[in-house]
Amino acid sequence: MKLFNQTSKRLSTQPLYTNRRRRKLNMGETIGLAWSSLLANKLRSILTMLGIIIGIAAVIAMVTIGRGAQAQTERQLKSLGSNLLFVQSGVALTGSPASQGAGSATTLTWEDAQAIASTCTSVSATAPVLNVRAQVVRSELNTNTFIVGTTPEFVQVRDFLPLTGRFFNQADVEQVARVAVLGQTVVGNLGLTADNAVGQTIRIQGEEFFIIGTMEYKGSSQFRDQDDQVMIPITTIASRIVGVNSLQGISVNNISVSAKSPEEMDAAQFQITNLLRLRHQIVPPRSDDFIVRNQADLVSASNAVSRIFTALLGGSAAISLVVGGIGIMNIMFVSVSERTREIGIRRAIGARSSDILWQFLIESIVLSLSGGVLGIILGVTTSSLINLALGWQIGVALDSILISLSVCLGIGIFFGAYPARKAARLTPIAALRSD
Amino acid sequence: MIQLKEIVKTYRLGEVSVPVLRGIDLIIDRGEYTAIMGASGSGKSTLMNIIGCLERPTSGGYWLNGQDITQLSDDELADIRNYQIGFVFQQFNLLPRLNALENVMLPMVYAGYSKIERQQRAEEVLVQVGLSDRMTNRPSQLSGGQQQRVAIARALVNHPELLLADEPTGALDTKTSHEVMDLITTLNQQGITALIVTHELDIARQTRRIIQLQDGLIQQSDTSFNHDLGTRTK
Repeated sequence: MKLFNQTSKRLSTQPLYTNRRRRKLNMGETIGLAWSSLLANKLRSILTMLGIIIGIAAVIAMVTIGRGAQAQTERQLKSLGSNLLFVQSGVALTGSPASQGAGSATTLTWEDAQAIASTCTSVSATAPVLNVRAQVVRSELNTNTFIVGTTPEFVQVRDFLPLTGRFFNQADVEQVARVAVLGQTVVGNLGLTADNAVGQTIRIQGEEFFIIGTMEYKGSSQFRDQDDQVMIPITTIASRIVGVNSLQGISVNNISVSAKSPEEMDAAQFQITNLLRLRHQIVPPRSDDFIVRNQADLVSASNAVSRIFTALLGGSAAISLVVGGIGIMNIMFVSVSERTREIGIRRAIGARSSDILWQFLIESIVLSLSGGVLGIILGVTTSSLINLALGWQIGVALDSILISLSVCLGIGIFFGAYPARKAARLTPIAALRSD
Repeated sequence: MIQLKEIVKTYRLGEVSVPVLRGIDLIIDRGEYTAIMGASGSGKSTLMNIIGCLERPTSGGYWLNGQDITQLSDDELADIRNYQIGFVFQQFNLLPRLNALENVMLPMVYAGYSKIERQQRAEEVLVQVGLSDRMTNRPSQLSGGQQQRVAIARALVNHPELLLADEPTGALDTKTSHEVMDLITTLNQQGITALIVTHELDIARQTRRIIQLQDGLIQQSDTSFNHDLGTRTK
């Protein structure tokens, strides 16, 4: 097509790179680039991350606390005694349509407990419990606590042993002895220690009681703080504290029953139900005036509650994460329009649109992951503080951290994709012309 | 090296079509030193953008080094901009957050050079444009002339064959304008093909060929003050 003039030949030191093969952009450098651009707007980046930080912190705290609570529940239920069944008084029949709730009627008696122990073959022991809240006084100190009237089998059924001194025995029950065994919370509240409590006297509703023992630490359950109670013989509570005897004998609030083995729990429950129906002369259509519960029921009830809490917390955490993601998307759009000229310059000097896409996508991912890391730090700190406050020994689950990080990665990609695509689709010339 | 045939560029503004280039035929050879002149609105920047592969013509043919540019994908155009063409803009277009050295290295990032290669080459080019003592300065710490030198260094860093400058002295005073033009002239003497868009005759006279553009057409291609080059327009 034309004569080629050699007068302006290239310098031989400048090689031709017309067919230079292009290598892939270095990911580490792209991340570094994203990082420096986020650091250039520190406050804005932190504010943008806030939604993610809160969301992830909530997730971590929620999982940790949820697991802690579950472990705690299981430990407490176990601490109530192995193979434990509860028989509670049933719904009071007041004639009004309003149910008074389980335990409102006093249909169970000490005799029921004795009958269960002697008749039901799958039952190893029973402990009737008649309790009342009362003021316990020792010299000028006093405390309001549960007075539990029971029998010596309580120790076996509840798997709850004295730490110092002794539990009351059959003779104490028969003699209606004014002896008391204190839980450790009560010991502390009355200014005593486990070692010096035995031999002291306390007053319950004006009656003087002799401390013969203190119980081991048990911790609180959602049913009751088991260390915050005073055990006295059932005969003594019935005659001196509560003073309400039904015609059938001493009525009790509930009966703790221990089955012979975990496998016999169902059998024991069946036997108890039949025996009590017989004893209480319950014939259909009359409904039972008692309720038999086993530990599994209690566990599943408490698990159901914690599942609801977990769902609620999880829901709000999810909302926070979505809101955080939208925040990231928003700020990425701002970033793209602020840096349109930069995009144009980069395109003009040879960046492909995929290079621009990656630049902004990585920036969004780095933003989201940084928020995630800060959220994890916050969540771990929060749950450690809660653990410390509640005295739990629950570590932060590694899987919740890994899940959080993958969620953040997902958020970064999902909410960064659209702004990044917008940046990548700008034509070089339109981007260059913007101010 | 550059062959344009019947290049037409039309912008659409809503319903109205605005023709900017109305059939440009142009051949520029390797090693030429050319200025495109014209009043504002004459289409000279658009022509520059098409030659620089920043824009596609509405119709017509464009061959760069024998390669049919109109057939290339966007990614291929990006690659051509990356290592066949060096751009210099009126407003310098440096990235404000990067220092001179990092700005110069930028095209090499997209060409996939290693960090060491980049650093070495960018320093070399900055020395070449006379900024050996300003490498770690950010654009805001440099004068206009120095910024334009950084921009020229960036344009040169990937050893392009074609240097395109769109009003390279438009934002500079007379003295620094001459310095920048002297630099481009030197580069052309060293072998690079240079194409400058300007509306100042003073600047255009330093090249060896002037193309006058008016209303989207080439009015005059004047090589009268340098007849050594066997160039012509159709």
